[in-house]
Amino acid sequence: MAVKVLIVDDAAFMRMMIKDILVKNDFDVVGEAGDGAQAVEMYKDASPDLVTMDITMPEMDGITALKEIKKHDPDANIIMCSAMGQQAMVIDAIQAGAKDFIVKPFQADRVLEAINKSLA
Amino acid sequence: MERNQYLEMFIDESTEHLQAVNDNLMKLEQNPGDTAIVDEVFRSAHTLKGMAATMGYEDLASLTHQMENVLDGIRNDKIEADSGVMDVVFASVDDLEAMVTDIASGGEGRRDVSAIVNRLEHVEKGTAPAEEKTSGAIIPESRALTYDDFERTVIQQAGEQDFNAYSVKISLSPDVILKAARVYMVFEVLEQAGEVVKSVPSVEELEDEQFELDFTIVLITKETQEDIQQRILKVSEVKTAEVKTVQIDEKPEEMKEEKNQFEEEAALPAEQGVRSPEPVSEASQKPVEKSTESSAAPQSKTIRVNIDRLDSLMNLFEELVIDRGRLEQISKELESSELTDTVEHMSRISGDLQSIILTMRMVPVEQVFNRFPRMVRSLSKELEKKVSLDIIGAETELDRTVIDEIGDPLVHLLRNSIDHGIEIPEKRRNAGKPETGHITLKAYHSGNHVFIEVSDDGGGINRDKVLQKALKSGVVSPENAAQLSDRQVYELLFSSGLSTADEISDISGRGVGLDVVKNKIESLGGTVSVDSSAGEGTHFLIQLPLTLSIISVMLVEVQDEVYAVPLSSIIETAIIKKDDIMAAHNQKVIDFRGSVVPLIDLTSFFDVPVTREENDYYSVVIVRKGEKMAALVVNSFIGQQEIVLKSLGDYLQNIFAISGATILGNGKVALILDCNALIK
Repeated sequence: MAVKVLIVDDAAFMRMMIKDILVKNDFDVVGEAGDGAQAVEMYKDASPDLVTMDITMPEMDGITALKEIKKHDPDANIIMCSAMGQQAMVIDAIQAGAKDFIVKPFQADRVLEAINKSLA
Repeated sequence: MERNQYLEMFIDESTEHLQAVNDNLMKLEQNPGDTAIVDEVFRSAHTLKGMAATMGYEDLASLTHQMENVLDGIRNDKIEADSGVMDVVFASVDDLEAMVTDIASGGEGRRDVSAIVNRLEHVEKGTAPAEEKTSGAIIPESRALTYDDFERTVIQQAGEQDFNAYSVKISLSPDVILKAARVYMVFEVLEQAGEVVKSVPSVEELEDEQFELDFTIVLITKETQEDIQQRILKVSEVKTAEVKTVQIDEKPEEMKEEKNQFEEEAALPAEQGVRSPEPVSEASQKPVEKSTESSAAPQSKTIRVNIDRLDSLMNLFEELVIDRGRLEQISKELESSELTDTVEHMSRISGDLQSIILTMRMVPVEQVFNRFPRMVRSLSKELEKKVSLDIIGAETELDRTVIDEIGDPLVHLLRNSIDHGIEIPEKRRNAGKPETGHITLKAYHSGNHVFIEVSDDGGGINRDKVLQKALKSGVVSPENAAQLSDRQVYELLFSSGLSTADEISDISGRGVGLDVVKNKIESLGGTVSVDSSAGEGTHFLIQLPLTLSIISVMLVEVQDEVYAVPLSSIIETAIIKKDDIMAAHNQKVIDFRGSVVPLIDLTSFFDVPVTREENDYYSVVIVRKGEKMAALVVNSFIGQQEIVLKSLGDYLQNIFAISGATILGNGKVALILDCNALIK
């Protein structure tokens, strides 16, 4: 069965990019959320196998969302998406239980590497 | 990458984010201490950076990146957001806008950003050098690898208790981006497996990314070499991991070998080596918390629809309006009550539908007004004037087509007000006015129109100067000049080839001026007028139609043909006696409420075949354009109706005094008069 992925990013553009990469590689994108609060809700509904989570977002940022999801499901597989210069936040996220991170600009093989490693 | 498919979305979102940055920067300048605003700006800039980098617009990305650093500095109180800093940030936003515009118009978004990046770096470094020093200070003096007593003891005891001590040499892949975060992940993995005794370079150095791609960790664990290796390789972007056994007490020579391997890498007190990279994350927690607390602007739920689709929806609806007209007529003729009921109901529904479709195309003028505060700010700086801009009614909505077109004329009027209207501070003080000049930009609905006012409290229009210019350029004759009212003189500003600026400046006064504004607004079906009082200021008033495609008209008959006269230009209708017609300057005129109005007989004007007999009474429609009037002679009035304006198509362009056509309820075509052209 295809791996279910939830994509979280405030920029529709970035969501589209990731979605394309994932769909081309036979992942099942079960949802897209535009902010952290949505992401938490959608996680509860869809219980995806994996979440790609942007860090800077309105309403609820990615790290808070990550913590919320972890509260709900301690085994959640979450990969952070960050831009350069967010090292400290990435480390925070990993402390909070993120499996891996990918750095914008995304390269398809990096995204896939991170996803496959965190699912292994 | 096939980036075309994302381009449109990229441009839309980038423009939005740039606008948000602009708005928030303006707010920030008003409240320099408000970190919530900085957070907003930061987030927009950040998203922009991510998108630009993904699309491969490197200049755009590098500039946003540098801007972000400065913003981060402001956010963490390392940089003070004074006017100088803001100038640099604003300048970089200008560059960003230019690049996005370039991309939108099909360019590559390239731009030499090195100068501005330099300035930003200067701002960043100028006040925040402390950041880098701290990391340098931590580096221990002795860089030779030795296990100190504590480490020896730990490794020794580990051996006694069946633990293995490994030295693990890890190489990251060359394209790794956030090295410190990767290192952190490696540490985390290793700490799950055992205990990290030391690392070379030190944890602090690793956190500060003061290493190339390799680092070595000494680990005490019960697991096997292979397990450790496997675990480390699971971390992304790790290229290789060599795991070797360390046996410190039995073979001191091996330690020396290790020493060679580590070469000039550093040793550290054990407690520091064991600690996980806590300091960095603690320090960074503050900004993170702040950004969560900051109240993000509420976002309403919207979808993006291509304007073309709305246009075609509008078109289809227009067809429906035509059919509705026909149905109404048929039901009147058939006099079937059931049919009449249904048609009436349909009319009501389609009325509602019409207003929904119209409002769907409406966007707040905010979109256009938004960029003005920036413009006023930079212009007034350039001209060394003090100007404050008040925007009222930015939420007023206008048809999207109008919005797209109205920007340039408004820019022109504002520039005019700043350049010519507002005086220099010194002069204002002498005139007993506050030094800061005031410009008000106001939009509001009234009836079927939207009004936009641009008023300033500057010196007003100099009547004599305008007249002189007008005489010089031959716009008015000397005989007429003396008779003109103030208002008429001001209106002269709108005639082409007239600028009152004594010296031509960059900002305005190049001869292409208010006449362009006037033409633009009239092409949108609007009007513009000006009023002024010397020493107190000038006031421009723009009147725009709410929508362009459905208008109210009065239908009239000219012989057997039907014409539509837009209600907006009709003053009134009248029936006059043939005897009341007089002649002046070879032109038939009538006396209408005390003023002389020229008479235009539409039958002869449009060469309509004469089919009806003349009688002693003429039906006239009195129309106006600005202050001028004309009386149109028609054969009979039909009534008022909402009609759909259709263009005549490409092959019938520039037909004099006809602005378009419409299809009536009975399927006939009626031409729509362009009264403005008629009166000229």
